[in-house]
This record gives sequence, structure tokens and C-alpha cells, in this order.
Amino acid sequence: MQLTVLNSFWNKIVKKILKLELTLSSETFRGMMMALGKKTAVKKRTVAEINEKIRKGDVQVLTAEEMKKLVEKSGVEVAFKEVDVVTSGTLGAMCSSGAIINLGHSDPPIKIQRAWINDVEVCHPGAAVDLYIGATQMSDTKPFEYGGGHVIEDLIRGKEVEVRATAYGTDCYPRTKLRTTITKDDLNQFYLLNFRNCYQHYSCATNSRDETIYTYMGKLLPRFGNATFSGAGALNPLTNDPDYETIGIGTRIFLGGAQGYVIGEGTQHSPRNLFGTLMVRGDCKKMSPEFISGAAFTKYGTTLYVGIGIPIPILNEGLAKKTAIRDEETFTDIIDYGVPRRDRPKLGKVSYKDLKSGTITINERKVSVSPLSSLKEAQIISETLKSWIENGLFYLTSPVERLPTDTVAKPMKQTEDIAFVNNVIQTAVTCTEDDEIRAVAEKIISRSVNHIVVVDKEGRISGIVTSWDITKSVAEGKRKVSDIITRKVVTTIPDEPLEAASRKMAQHHISALPVIDQHRKVLGIVTSEDISKLLGR
Amino acid sequence: MVRILLRFSEKIVEKPITAQVILEQKTPISIVAAHVNSQGGEILVEVPSTHVKKVAEAFRQRGVVVSFPKLIEKDSEKCFECGACFSLCPVKAISFKDDFSVVFDLEKCIGSSCGKCVDACPARAIKLVADLEGLNSK
Repeated sequence: MQLTVLNSFWNKIVKKILKLELTLSSETFRGMMMALGKKTAVKKRTVAEINEKIRKGDVQVLTAEEMKKLVEKSGVEVAFKEVDVVTSGTLGAMCSSGAIINLGHSDPPIKIQRAWINDVEVCHPGAAVDLYIGATQMSDTKPFEYGGGHVIEDLIRGKEVEVRATAYGTDCYPRTKLRTTITKDDLNQFYLLNFRNCYQHYSCATNSRDETIYTYMGKLLPRFGNATFSGAGALNPLTNDPDYETIGIGTRIFLGGAQGYVIGEGTQHSPRNLFGTLMVRGDCKKMSPEFISGAAFTKYGTTLYVGIGIPIPILNEGLAKKTAIRDEETFTDIIDYGVPRRDRPKLGKVSYKDLKSGTITINERKVSVSPLSSLKEAQIISETLKSWIENGLFYLTSPVERLPTDTVAKPMKQTEDIAFVNNVIQTAVTCTEDDEIRAVAEKIISRSVNHIVVVDKEGRISGIVTSWDITKSVAEGKRKVSDIITRKVVTTIPDEPLEAASRKMAQHHISALPVIDQHRKVLGIVTSEDISKLLGR
Repeated sequence: MVRILLRFSEKIVEKPITAQVILEQKTPISIVAAHVNSQGGEILVEVPSTHVKKVAEAFRQRGVVVSFPKLIEKDSEKCFECGACFSLCPVKAISFKDDFSVVFDLEKCIGSSCGKCVDACPARAIKLVADLEGLNSK
């Protein structure tokens, strides 16, 4: 129902701007095609021709999924002849999302310094009453559960939200405090302005650690207990136009259930290693909560799930071939998120076909894998966009400027060194489970340590014993290490930042961490004492 | 372990049906709660998840009404069908349909004794249902 209403609204708008649209696109495209034509000199079609077909109602549109089947069955040449447009889609967590709103002026007027909507602090980047609602900004009162993404969703749903603001007061803007309740209808502008969206593909995440970790890739169980992945594979928009032939600045897209636009490459756009991204903009007032939702990742924070669909005009046979890419030809790396570093270890390669099957293999073991993006909604988006085009509700655009195709995102320039576990690692004093407690007590005295790491024959960790455990064993009359051993040991790895190791110790109320390698062999130990010495330096 | 609710009618309540099923299926069945009198009764039992299908069938053959109390609830309004919950389920109670809809198999779900999927849901659409509500209110 909601969509039908929206659709008819667009229909009117689209018809109004259609004339202008066609002139613009045919000109730009003629230029591009001439450049292309020299090399290929083959059959091609233009965006203007496709739009003419849309107007006449005989445009041929397939979803990316249908295109793959057609090419498989009839080949690229036939597919190119028969298909004008292929629609793609994805719906996933897109953290670098947000919305710009303009509140209108209060009386007396205020030049907002800080503001909150439903207790979520919003950024005030502009003159007086413009606010940017960042998706990941969390509520002061319900952190990790409610955030900017939820504020955006609530506004789109037509709910009332509470705005609070403070200011320092000026001669022209005397007001220093403000509190009001608004809905989206009270706003002048309410635009989604996402600076990084729609990743071309993304890594598959898993966790080597002994504990469950909570990440932006979701909940990852200990010792490769599960894995997660993001993106819709062969249905992903940028996977279907990997050379950015048709997606560029000005490309009209499906965004959150409304028509939006690509306004540039996204931040960290890295097309050379297939991590291309887009910057997009769309009118939130026309969006539908089916395709845009606030979300919360436990112990990580809040975000926004955004649905994006991009139509790919099949201008040449090359594009027919590219849009036929299948899940089994789309690969990503399995990454160990247990290592909290910028460059995390790669554990292997996996296709989206395997990912979508629900099970992948990591270190020769079967591991269950969850999508974080909605594959169902991705499909629905590509189908919705298809029906818009077929029904003349959506016309294609040619980019007014191409996006970079050969850049790679740079890492941060850091002017201060940061310390890792490696920098403070000490030799671990070890014993075996069969040792007498008395012998261990002697080691504690002679080596003046508080922690003895218990190892097996191969030097792998099997537990830990502290001087307190020894004291207790004397009181309780125990004799063997195996009687007092703590088997569930919190450990670290040489590559862990010292800050993270320190946080672990505080969380578990312990004062040392054995350092182990990936085969659980003991490499040494770090103690809170050594860390304080280094950090206090 | 899976919890199943057994309803005994007046006609069969005197028979040692639970004991028979334990012996026949050679599987431990632990009674979590029971309300029995001469008019009939209800028992909530826990059965190893590997045996649940056969045990349920054995009870049904003896005229017992077998049902699976709801242990988990998916709020379809909130759920956007991502499936982040899928890989966290140790008993494969969560699966995808052909169109990638996320479905919960309530017969397999072990509810509050696990609950791993609950805090993995970015839409906060999964809720554990208090175990014995239905039984205790009687």
C-alpha cells in the first residue's frame, strides 16, 4: 500500500523532469560511447534509448539473479539483445550513514551548540538549526540499544521525537536552551546523506580467540565457533558494474524505498582491491521503514540498515557479461577478527555461494556462517526496482562524472608509536600438571613471580596457577598442581595492542596473561606490573 | 535438551506411560514440572534433542497429546530477515527458506538454556519466553 502511494508520487515528479533528463543523458552518453566505440565498435545501446523504451512501456528489465540464469542458458549475445536493464540490490548495516535535518528557526532564534534527539547527541555542523544525525551515535540513556539509526527510522515512521538543544547565546541568536517535539513533517529538509555505503564486497569474519567477541561483524563465538559475512554477493550493486561504467555521480538509485542519487565515491573507496564504496543521498521523507531500519550490535554500538538498489543499463555486451556474474565467481577473504589489528590475519578464501549455503570450511572444520545483510530484502529491492522501471516510475540516468576506478584507501599516518604485547613479553615460568605443589612454590620464590603457566608435553597451555592458589592449597592440604589448576585461562597474543590486553585483565580481574601462538603454545607472559611500568614511563 | 509438554487424558493418566517410553526409547527423560490428578495431567519434560522426534512419537502412540512449549519468539515486525542469528544456534533450530526468510523451528529450540541468538540480533527481534508460564498458571 505504502509503496503504491509513493510510486504515484514519483511518477508525477519523474514526468516533470523527464524532458530535461533525456537531453542531459543523451549528450553525456554520446561522448562516452564515442570513446568506447573506437575499441569495441560493436552493438550498443544508450541510456536515452532505454528511457524512451521505459516511456513506451516496452523496456526489458531483469533482476541480477534472472540475468545470471538467462546468460547461463542463452549466452551473453542473446542476453545483450534482449535485456535493457539489470537491477541489483543489497540491504545491510551501513555504519557511515546519517541524515541531515533542518529544524526551522525558533523564536527567539537559537544558534545551536549541542543538540540531542531522543537523548542521542546529534552533530551541529552548520549555521544555526541544521543537525546531522549520525547512525552510530548512541543514546546517552540507552547506549548500545538506541542510537542515531533508530532516530532516523523513528522519524521515517512518522513518530514524534524530542529535540533538546543548548547554546551560548549571541546578540543575533539570544536563546540558550530549547526543547520541542517534532515529526518529519515539521522539518524543512530531512535527507539521508551517507558518506560510505554499498561496499562492493566485504570480508567474512571469524574469531580465533578463546572468548566470544562482539564486533561490527556481529557476535563471533570462540575458537572459530561461527562466522559472519556481509553483502549480497552477485546481487550487490557494485559487483555488477565493477568498472564503474554506469554508476557514477548523478546515478539515480533505489535508496531506502525511495529514489535517491549517487553523489560520489564513498570514503575509503578502494576499487583496486574490490572494496569500492558509494556516497549517496536521498529524501528520507519518502522512504519506507521496510528498507531502512535502526539496528544495535551488542557491545559494539548502533547503526543503520540501508537498502540500496542500482539499475545497470546494459549498454554493451561487456555489461551483459559483467551482470551475469554468479555467487560462485564472487570471492572474499575469511578474516580472523580475534586479532584486533588493522591488518587482520587471512585464513582463506570463500565464495558467496558457499557463504549463502550456511556452512564454510575454516582450518578443515565445518563452520556455520550467518549473513548480516538481508538476502531476502536484497532480492525484494532488485524486484521492486525492476517493477518501478517496467511501470515507468523510474528513469535511468547517465553519470555526470565517473568515479575513480584505480584508487586504494590509505592507512592512517600515525605520529606516535603504540605498544603491543610483544613489547613487554616476559619468559613464562612453567610447570606441568603432574608437578608437586611444593616444587611450584619453590619456583615462585626462586624466580620471584606470581603466575606459573601449566603446559603439556608439547608446550601448549593447559592452565595457570598463581601464588594465591598455592597459599590456598597449603590451607586445604592439596599436593598436586592438577588439584588447584585454573583451566579456563584468559590469554593474549604477541600482536595484541597493550591497551586491549590491559582492558582484558581489568575485565577479568586478573593481573597476568599468558601469551600464546595460534597452536596454543606458550610464548611468554605479560603482567599488569610490566604494563604499568611501560605505560607509566 | 528439548522441552516437551505432555497432556494425559483421564483415560490414560493411571498408566505408567512415561516409564514405558523411557525403557522403550532407552533415553533419559527428566520431568521439569508436573500437575497430575485423577482427571488427567500435564507434565513438562526434557528430552535429549537427538531423541526428541522418536520420544514424541512414542508418547503420541500411547494417546498422549504432545506439544512444544514456545521458548522463543520472533517479532516479525522488527525482524528484517538478515539471519545474523543463524550461525549461533547450536541445535540448528534457525534456518532459511528458499527466499531467504529466516524461520525458527520451535521443536528444536532449547530456549533459555541457550539464548545465544538473542543478543546477536541487530533488530532486537528475538525474545526468550518465560518457561513455565503456561503450566504454572493452571
